[in-house]
Amino acid sequence: MFGSLSDFSLGELFQVLEQGEKTGRLTIYSGRRGESQKDRISQTPPRNYYIWFRRGFIVAAANSLDNQGLSKLIDQRSWIEGGTSVLAPGFCNVNLPLGICFKSHGLITAEQLKLLFSVQVLRQVCQLFTLLHGRYHFDEKAPLAYPEMTGLSAPATDVTLAGLRNLKDWSALEDKLPEPDSAILSLVEGKPHLKLNQSELRVWEFADGTVALKDVAARLDLSLEKVRKIAFRLSVVNLAEEFPLLISASDMMNLSLDDEFVDDENNLFFMEEQAVKAEAPVRKSNSQEFIAPPPMSDDFLQELMRSLNNS
Amino acid sequence: MEIMTLVVTGPVGAGKSTFIRTVSEIDVVDTDRRATDETASLKHRTTVAFDFGRLQFGRNRALHLYGTPGQSRFDFMWDILIRKAQGYVVLVAANRPNEFRYSRRILTFMQHRSRVPLIIAISHSDCEGAWTPENILVAMGYNAQKPAPPVVIVDPRNRASVAKSIVKLVQSAMQYTRSFSKAG
Ligand SMILES: Nc1nc2c(ncn2[C@@H]2O[C@H](COP(=O)(O)OP(=O)(O)O)[C@@H](O)[C@H]2O)c(=O)[nH]1
Ligand SMILES: [Mg+2]
Repeated sequence: MFGSLSDFSLGELFQVLEQGEKTGRLTIYSGRRGESQKDRISQTPPRNYYIWFRRGFIVAAANSLDNQGLSKLIDQRSWIEGGTSVLAPGFCNVNLPLGICFKSHGLITAEQLKLLFSVQVLRQVCQLFTLLHGRYHFDEKAPLAYPEMTGLSAPATDVTLAGLRNLKDWSALEDKLPEPDSAILSLVEGKPHLKLNQSELRVWEFADGTVALKDVAARLDLSLEKVRKIAFRLSVVNLAEEFPLLISASDMMNLSLDDEFVDDENNLFFMEEQAVKAEAPVRKSNSQEFIAPPPMSDDFLQELMRSLNNS
Repeated sequence: MEIMTLVVTGPVGAGKSTFIRTVSEIDVVDTDRRATDETASLKHRTTVAFDFGRLQFGRNRALHLYGTPGQSRFDFMWDILIRKAQGYVVLVAANRPNEFRYSRRILTFMQHRSRVPLIIAISHSDCEGAWTPENILVAMGYNAQKPAPPVVIVDPRNRASVAKSIVKLVQSAMQYTRSFSKAG
């Protein structure tokens, strides 16, 4: 999987990696495609960031592949006397997270590991949500970087929620936000397992697939933009999904129809149905009443299949 | 005349018109193209007109295919489709992840309102940056709790490939027909 973050945003990517229970390494390159040193706008040079996933959980992050990131964080805090470099090579099993190795030798505590994880992963990865035009590449074959791992992990969507809450510039996500005419529908039983803030909880109350976001905004006295951003957050963390509502006939009144093109075969379908439509009541969106055109006969389908297979 | 109506939907550029043209024995009116050829005053036509194709078979039988126009809103047109269609093909271009969200919207919309058989047909698998079907389904929100409808990889430009995906849909339609005869 590779592409541009402006096409598929980091939040969406994390959602797929978590839902797909992926293991591997995600590389984020902060520059645009083909961007050269001289036509760059931003001051900071583009660079790579790496995030390792194990079965959908984030287990480590670094901005280099030198395997030194976690050791540097420990050394900055002088938690190991003489620094991590005094330890003999091979001190830790290469297939064991460095954090677990150090902890089992009594070199650092569980509390210190938590702090390291929060600095290394939560803080670092949250900042990546501000990269609007970077590129991504997910390599399912890349090995886990045990020397960068504390042994702790976080669900990718926890990080997404934090990252998006702090995001100021939503310009790149503009056309990904749920439509004002859509509702949201809960994807979980009962209460959300993630800790939501006040306004998220208020919007969440409407996650039953019946109220359009524009009406949610009006009822909660929040801006439509804010409600759409919250709905987007709830959807990328898999709490709810966008649920398009049928736009009611009254909203469509301003659409003018001319009958000059009734003669087109492809429009007959439309015009004929339009007549039916005039009497048909507009259904409420979330009703469980399914519409079922009559099924085709078995004989018809058999013959169609034969004809397709022979063509 | 006994007619089965199929609807081919999906984002702009997914291959709907091509899909319909490839199986149709009549000339397909590509409504999106017509919009660019003609003047802007005709623009609103594209919001109501469908691509249309037809495949006749047997003595008095036909398959009618309608393609949804543009990146349409879920207005009365969708209401019409739900009432009329006896099956759907949701086309998803594998190389355009920025459109997965719109495809998911269509799927959510349809699956909550209709029990009619549908398939997800993945096009543009031959293109650079194409996602695997597995990852596309995850992006569409399918998982162990929410199983995906049948999926095919299709090249809408290739007649055999299009025929194969319609066959897949017809197979689902047979189960649907049988569930009806059991129920009633
Ligand atoms: N390479 C490739 N091109 C395709 C495929 N499917 C459709 N196309 C091309 O994509 C373009 C858009 O197709 P079109 O049928 O107009 O899409 P629509 O907007 O959904 O009706 C056309 O040039 C097709 O030939 C595919 O699977 N692979
Ligand atoms: Mg078209």
